[in-house]
Amino acid sequence: MDDVEKKVVDLIAEVLVDVNKDNIQLDSKIVEDLGAESLDIYDMIALLEDEFGTEISDEEVEKIQTVQDVADFIKAQKSA
Amino acid sequence: MKRRVAVTGMGLVTCLGSGVETNWDAVTSGRSGIGVITHFDTSGFSTNIAGEVKDGFDVDGSIPVKELRRLDRHQQYALVAAHEAFKVSGLEIPPADPYRCAMIIGSGMGGLETIENGHDVLKNKGPKRMPPLVIPMVVVNLTPGLLSMKYQFKGTNFGLVNACTSGSSAIGEAYRLVAGGHADIAMTGGTEAVVSAFSVSAFSAIRALSTRNDEPQKASRPFDKDRDGFVLAEGAGILILENLESAKARGATIHAEIVGYGSTGDAYHLVMPDPEGTGAYYAMKFAIEEAGIAPEDIAYINAHGTSTELNDKIETMAIKKLFGDHAYKLSISSTKSMTGHMIGAAGAVEAIFSIMSTKTDTVPPTINLDNPDPDCDLDYTPHKSIRRQIDYAMSNSFAFGGQNAALVFKKA
Repeated sequence: MDDVEKKVVDLIAEVLVDVNKDNIQLDSKIVEDLGAESLDIYDMIALLEDEFGTEISDEEVEKIQTVQDVADFIKAQKSA
Repeated sequence: MKRRVAVTGMGLVTCLGSGVETNWDAVTSGRSGIGVITHFDTSGFSTNIAGEVKDGFDVDGSIPVKELRRLDRHQQYALVAAHEAFKVSGLEIPPADPYRCAMIIGSGMGGLETIENGHDVLKNKGPKRMPPLVIPMVVVNLTPGLLSMKYQFKGTNFGLVNACTSGSSAIGEAYRLVAGGHADIAMTGGTEAVVSAFSVSAFSAIRALSTRNDEPQKASRPFDKDRDGFVLAEGAGILILENLESAKARGATIHAEIVGYGSTGDAYHLVMPDPEGTGAYYAMKFAIEEAGIAPEDIAYINAHGTSTELNDKIETMAIKKLFGDHAYKLSISSTKSMTGHMIGAAGAVEAIFSIMSTKTDTVPPTINLDNPDPDCDLDYTPHKSIRRQIDYAMSNSFAFGGQNAALVFKKA
């Protein structure tokens, strides 16, 4: 995992209080595998936006499924 | 038909520490929990002292560390106090009949600090950065909501907002649910975390707070002529109430019975009590009448005793009016002299101290009562606790807004 990926995993672990961080893989699906519900997703977006100084629109959130998708989105935003 | 109501569990978090035993030991030893404010920078504030709950209050680690950021401090205190109360009660999760288990928790201001932090984000970073957990951390009914999830209580459930009377009102209303047969078990009490920049400056704006900043532990001095306002504090008190018969049947330890509750509204002023103390008088009178006892049966009153000019005089006046000659034979004290004023948690914490007085036949003192106000001429148990047989104790709470509540506890 690179630095962005590691940080994304950290933030997701911070939000999903019932999930052991070791069980969060890059290909984990955030809703189906990790059990995130809507309040968790909003919480995650707020943390990610704060951490990476980016903005994630609700439309973009719809497209995100896995932890990798989140990291890729942030990397694309940063290089844009 | 009115059923008898037992107290089978109690839990405390205050500036004196966590746990009923820790707190009872502190207040009967005359120890103050007041100190210099550390929660925020007090530069420019006229008051920089308070009764803050110290780090490490979650003595049993009952809140997972990762959940802490999702909970306002007033919710954290309630969870820790509830953990102790529930453990002591010996009840199990889930309860046998969840729909017969009620939950009423009071708080004056709920997640005020979260509102302040959220408002900072709104002003500094804009509306899209508002943390999504602000709403569940702010609203007062989320504490009973959270506790119902944890303990699977599915009966009547609400938060109760009644300023400084919230805790006593919550206990009184929960007592009525059990006494009236609407619930068999109730978790109740109050919680507050208002030592924040907004709240300290707002209470200072109405000149309610002591500014004795150089002597924090002497600042809360109820009934003393040199008092200059109350000392803001935070904490939680949670009780488990139960139908006495079923509590006995399951072999629970009965700490006391609640036998009377009186509540009134002054209908007088925004922040000043009725100068005749009529609302306070009737709250105490109704509680004693409901208990089916005579005023002379009360041995101890845990006074509201805020250390403000008006409260202490008017409470004294109301006690004299109701108790007559017996007013001078009563033991009275204000434990706020040691804990400070926990607003919506105060009544619940003081209910537990009143119960402990009946359990141990001990009256905790009013510390700092060096020179009594001539208008406050009753026995407020100055400086040191005393031993005395206490079959019935009463706890008073009076609020800005004129709400008054009195609870009567009977030795188990």
